[in-house]
Amino acid sequence: MGTFMAIVDKEIRAVARERTILLAIVIQLIIASLSSVILFGLMSFYDPATIGQNTAVPVKVGVVGDGDSQLINYLQRSRVTTLLYDSADAAQADFVKGSVDAVIYIPPVAAGVSEMKLFLPQSDSKSTVVLMVLQTPLKKYENYLRGLNGVEVRYQDTRGRSSTTYEFLYSFIVPMLMLFPAFIAGSIMIDTLSEEFENKTLDTLLSTPVSMNTMIGAKLAAAELIAVLQCILWSILLSFNRIYIQNVLLVLVLAAIIAAFVAAGSALIALYFKDRERSQFLYSVLLITVASLSYMFNPSPITLMTRLASGDPGVGVVNVLIYLLPLAILMIALFTGTRKLAALKA
Amino acid sequence: MWNVLVIAKREVSRFRTRFSGGSRALIVAVLVAALAVSFFVAQSGFTLSRGMYAVGVSPDGPAIDDSRFSVFVMSPEAGYSGLQAKTIDAYVNADMVIGRSDSRSQYAQGALKQYLDNRELNRIIEQYDIDRGFPLRIETHYIAVNASQQQPGGSIIDTASIADIIGPIIEPEPDFTGEPTPVPGGVPATPVETTTDPAVRAQLEAAKNGSAGRFKAEMVADNETLIPSLYQPSVPLPQVILAFVYIVPIFFISVFFTSSFMDEKTNRKLNILMSTPVSAFDIIMGKMLPYLVFSVAVIVGVTLFLGGNLLFAIAIFTPVMLFIFAIYLMVALFYRTYKDQTFFSMAAITFVTGYLVFPALFTGMSNLSYISPLTLAVEMYRNVPFGPTGLMAYALSTGPLYLVFAIALFVGVRIFNEEYLMGYGRLHQKLGDAVYLSLNKNHPYVSVGLLSLLLIPVVFVVELIILALVTNLQQIFTMLIVLLFFSALVEEIAKSAGIAALIEYGKAVTARRVLALSFVSALAFWGGEKLLLMASIGFMPASAVLDTLNGASGTAASPLMLVFLLLLPLAGHFVFSTIVCLGTLKLGTRYYIVALLAGTLVHVLYNVYNLRAMGAF
Repeated sequence: MGTFMAIVDKEIRAVARERTILLAIVIQLIIASLSSVILFGLMSFYDPATIGQNTAVPVKVGVVGDGDSQLINYLQRSRVTTLLYDSADAAQADFVKGSVDAVIYIPPVAAGVSEMKLFLPQSDSKSTVVLMVLQTPLKKYENYLRGLNGVEVRYQDTRGRSSTTYEFLYSFIVPMLMLFPAFIAGSIMIDTLSEEFENKTLDTLLSTPVSMNTMIGAKLAAAELIAVLQCILWSILLSFNRIYIQNVLLVLVLAAIIAAFVAAGSALIALYFKDRERSQFLYSVLLITVASLSYMFNPSPITLMTRLASGDPGVGVVNVLIYLLPLAILMIALFTGTRKLAALKA
Repeated sequence: MWNVLVIAKREVSRFRTRFSGGSRALIVAVLVAALAVSFFVAQSGFTLSRGMYAVGVSPDGPAIDDSRFSVFVMSPEAGYSGLQAKTIDAYVNADMVIGRSDSRSQYAQGALKQYLDNRELNRIIEQYDIDRGFPLRIETHYIAVNASQQQPGGSIIDTASIADIIGPIIEPEPDFTGEPTPVPGGVPATPVETTTDPAVRAQLEAAKNGSAGRFKAEMVADNETLIPSLYQPSVPLPQVILAFVYIVPIFFISVFFTSSFMDEKTNRKLNILMSTPVSAFDIIMGKMLPYLVFSVAVIVGVTLFLGGNLLFAIAIFTPVMLFIFAIYLMVALFYRTYKDQTFFSMAAITFVTGYLVFPALFTGMSNLSYISPLTLAVEMYRNVPFGPTGLMAYALSTGPLYLVFAIALFVGVRIFNEEYLMGYGRLHQKLGDAVYLSLNKNHPYVSVGLLSLLLIPVVFVVELIILALVTNLQQIFTMLIVLLFFSALVEEIAKSAGIAALIEYGKAVTARRVLALSFVSALAFWGGEKLLLMASIGFMPASAVLDTLNGASGTAASPLMLVFLLLLPLAGHFVFSTIVCLGTLKLGTRYYIVALLAGTLVHVLYNVYNLRAMGAF
């Protein structure tokens, strides 16, 4: 046990000394930030429902034509200021001055087709915003016109919040943060093992009373520990940002199982190839393959993570513990085959 | 040149022996499996949020065919009690969606609404003719608001008058109550073909094909007909996909390049190469060339696959590729251990992807998006014509990338000696040595000035990443302070790195010399910054952010004021650099970080003062 802990200690120290782990954490932070910037900045931009919820973008629209139109009602309900104009020229004058953001021509309502005209500023970003804000009232008006034509649209009264951010958060950000440590654990395994092979330090190590399995076990434990610590760190940091992971213990256990699986798998690869170049390449490709393959299970590890973290009532302990089985098989394969695998010439 | 080819040939054969025998078969098998599985999963519809919501549906309710929902058919009684017991998130009772008020249920209802709205749309498309199903058509026109504004693509401004376009305004009938009675049987039996019908049909077709419109412009074009329920602003997904399709293979290839470099370093084969009469440039280029050729082949392949313009694609992605190789060259030269290399590579991937994708998300929305060459690629795939501003955009977006490659190559050649490559120092030590080796000791002033100037694109990239990072902070004030601090820190590092290296090696020992060097460095950095600003102002009228960040407001009252406004930042840069460099000289390079923080602090205070003056605080 003493030698085992000594190697674990050495591995963790190596990672800590290199400060590389800091770099790894910064990487994850960057990925998460970029993704959330993309999401919170842009999705709200593309998702008018979110705009209505979060920000009150002040939009003023000049109206020419039917001043009693139901559309004006819808516009006002979406917090769009409407200004009625008698003539198109008057509207244009204000539009050019910039006192209205858009001009809309509403023909009188009639059964059949209604052809409106919308005038937007030729600026690169302003018209996009205006168009986004106008989308909801225009859709409502469209449904109103459909009603006049005898076309009934159902589910119009459904309420609820726009789920885009929620889904993105729990189906991308959280699994990414919880699985990236596993990816790093695999990389660490490959690096540390292939380094032993390439620098020929393995023979020296094995000449001491350390067995091959102790050595690999210790390295695995170190990689696993680093991964779990990162996952705990992420769940704490996320809660600082008021993003709460439900079933946090189960999520961490699942992340730990996946990290152990990936680390053991990468140990197998590194033991076979014995050089970093091929091991890392094959590891990356295999990781993509296995991740894709796992999608065929339902719930797959990644979706299970999503469902646990978002508090889905339909998943629980059993779904997590099932994954101990493939992990156990892989571990047995690893620890019974190390010597043979290491002796193979790839 | 000949030597480059000889070394390239050697590199190819080295690569081939690496992947020979049993390992080749295994790797090929895994690659094929990876492609097959990825293809299969992509084909069968890939959703990350599969089964995320548990939804109950009454027996007479709609069929919910969306993998986000785990659907359970249950009676209304069971549904209501399920809702209360929180075993389901929402319940659809025939035509009504019911849920709880907690956030999870609210999101589930929102997701259901999105799905059901779409389902209704499809039903309308199938059941009704287009005049009844899509009664609202909106013709959009873009009108110039003031003459200085220009369309992103540089197209002609629509100066037509609104009155001309509308034509005679039809007023409602005087006795019209404003609430027409619905027509039970719909519109007249013989629908009249209207002018907008073809547009509706075209958009219906596009909506049906789905993926076909993937690269379609997200903004409505001039004179285009907008149909509210068919108007789907495309999410920025194409940009991200496009970036990955091109960049990921290049990353894989460049990993082989670094691995090969490292392998030869560890096995001391590089020493043998270095002892021959071939130059450092020959070795670096020779080893890089095969991988560059592979990467270009990938670019060509991907473009042919996606059906893009080959010439444009090569012009756009070659600098991106060179940029990636530049970073990986640096990784290979600086690395000390494998773990180092792995993490640096990961960092490089995220940096590059972020730098490329982030600005490109604003394609068509802001000219600032031209920071990233990916924007040009997105436009190419959207068939946006390559106008006269296109060349400028190309120069702006790819210039820094070419420059970074040139710098990397230059630094690589300068530090290519046995002592440096084999040395195992602390990271900052190695970086400092690299800076020192890159400087021409006979012309310290020119070297330091050039270094400051050339580091501007790097500073720019880093600041962009910092900007993205600080958005995580919840408070605006903290966010701004952190942003100001790290931006100042990066700038001060860029300006003082060369001088600190000279001090470390005893090439600058007098305060006077350090002062003079600081001035040159500040001048070069300031000059470069203003040049960049001027170039971007001419090009991006809306870049108010840049103005603010640089503290130079364009509304100078008099020429004297303008000179003052221009020279003040120069004086500032000089003062900050002097603090850092003189501090380093007095305290010794061991305390470089202390001097750096002191200079940064003053820099931040100056910026805060400026921003206060402009009313930002």
